[in-house]
Amino acid sequence: MTDLSTNIGRLRLDNPVLTASGTFGYAEEFADFYDLNRLGGVVTKTVTLEPRPGNKPPRICETPAGMINSIGLPNAGVEQFIAQKWPFLQQLKTAVIVNVAGKTPDDFVRAVEKLEVLQGIAAYELNYSCPNVKEGGLSFSSNARIAEQVTALVRAVTQRPLITKLTPNVTSISEIGRACEGAGADAVSAINTLVGMAIDIHTRKPRIASITGGLSGPAIRPVALAKVYELVKALTIPVIGIGGIMTAEDALEFILAGAAAVQIGTANFMNPVAALQVVEGLQRHCEEENILRLMELRGAVQVG
Amino acid sequence: MSKSVIQVPVVEIREVAEGIFRLTISAPEWSRTARAGQFVNIQIPQRNDLLWRRPFSVHSVDPVRGTLDILFAVAGRGSAALSEHKAGDSLNVLGLLGNCFTWTADLQEIIIAAGGLGIAPFILLLQQLENWPGKKTLFLGFRSSRQACCMQQLGALGAEMVLTTEDGSLGHRGLITTPLDDYLASLDKNGKRMLFLCGPTPMMRAVRELTQKYDIPAQVTVENRMACGFGACVGCPVELAQPREDGQTYMLACKDGPVFPLQEIVFND
Repeated sequence: MTDLSTNIGRLRLDNPVLTASGTFGYAEEFADFYDLNRLGGVVTKTVTLEPRPGNKPPRICETPAGMINSIGLPNAGVEQFIAQKWPFLQQLKTAVIVNVAGKTPDDFVRAVEKLEVLQGIAAYELNYSCPNVKEGGLSFSSNARIAEQVTALVRAVTQRPLITKLTPNVTSISEIGRACEGAGADAVSAINTLVGMAIDIHTRKPRIASITGGLSGPAIRPVALAKVYELVKALTIPVIGIGGIMTAEDALEFILAGAAAVQIGTANFMNPVAALQVVEGLQRHCEEENILRLMELRGAVQVG
Repeated sequence: MSKSVIQVPVVEIREVAEGIFRLTISAPEWSRTARAGQFVNIQIPQRNDLLWRRPFSVHSVDPVRGTLDILFAVAGRGSAALSEHKAGDSLNVLGLLGNCFTWTADLQEIIIAAGGLGIAPFILLLQQLENWPGKKTLFLGFRSSRQACCMQQLGALGAEMVLTTEDGSLGHRGLITTPLDDYLASLDKNGKRMLFLCGPTPMMRAVRELTQKYDIPAQVTVENRMACGFGACVGCPVELAQPREDGQTYMLACKDGPVFPLQEIVFND
């Protein structure tokens, strides 16, 4: 039996396949399709301190080998998350990572403080990098000083593992990653979506209401892989790879580049069983290649 | 009913009107359980640049043959690719998704208003209503006779039908809302009726005004861009005319719909 397990700092996962925030709902949406406990873990849709209605439609459009979204983090707020979504998540045996965002540093802290009462949260993922939330004027992940500050403030109120999710829409992603590491993050996840745009040539309007949005899907995979490789070289904490992963082969590229785990995002929309198929494909690859521990491949890319 | 992904053969595909195709797949279980308004989400094969599945209302079913039909117009790259399929080709289909039209036993009449491809879900509805004792009246409009379809099926399903085309090439000339207005005006005010609606946005707006004018409860099925079809992408919001008690201003077309009470939603372009 191949060992697919991995460690994200102190958090041990049975396998390295997680679901990306905002593509897997609160897991319940996928319960019809397969046993969710076969995943390494699930990352919830973003939870914020206060409820958010989300952005005006159209919120999504299809682009070559990808899609642009500007959903705007709609959610019922942390209290309703605890009341309505947590009961289902709580009974999962797999790791449940709660993704948190805020308009201000204090919002992050207060949302995490409210979540601290729940037993069984495996980790928090701090969403510094949603490109579709404009208010507040702060983009936590494009400024190393602010990323450091928020990470440190949240670090002070929880013992649980902290993952900070990074945007690629910056000059130096590793500079932001180092700031998070310095402030006590246990891992970083990368990449969030790339800013993108599409125009309907007949109506002459942008194809999503917010004009620009976040590009995801296989179209961004090579960009994501390069950013993950850069982060792996720059940081000592684990890197979780995200970006257009559709298959086990795609996931293996990220692991070879040094990712300790991966997140499956857009693929969940196209193929509701995609994340499970990645787990099965990793298992099969290891068996075929006589690999006893999948993480032997971590960072094993041959660069001359 | 739990949702699932099935890999199934195309049983038949036919161009039933200009640019309009009826595609039949083998789906024994769904052919027995599908309810009008529900939809399936079909992966477009051999087009790796097109990521999203394409959603289609269940059009009709044949529980004896174990088949399910969808009706679609070639409107873009996805539907064009789908139209090129042949009997025997395999399709990856996600279903059954969404809610359905609902009615109560005490209704005396169900009125259907369909514009163009908006007829799609109502063949299944009329199949479901086959032994229903109340009156069924269908108002159906097309642009011209070239786009007219489903006539044979409708003939066998026992609804009274009023047909219009914009160019007068079939049925009455004009928009469906004119005879619908006259008909609703002629009805006694005490009868229990329900109107079901599907069509282009301007038609849906016009029919909503009529149902308000004559105070007839109505349900509408909406179309929306969606990346997933089961509530994960949150990309298909439908705006509510009034926020709900919990403050929510949007519902999801895929999960909360696609059928909504007509008065409760706003039609965004």
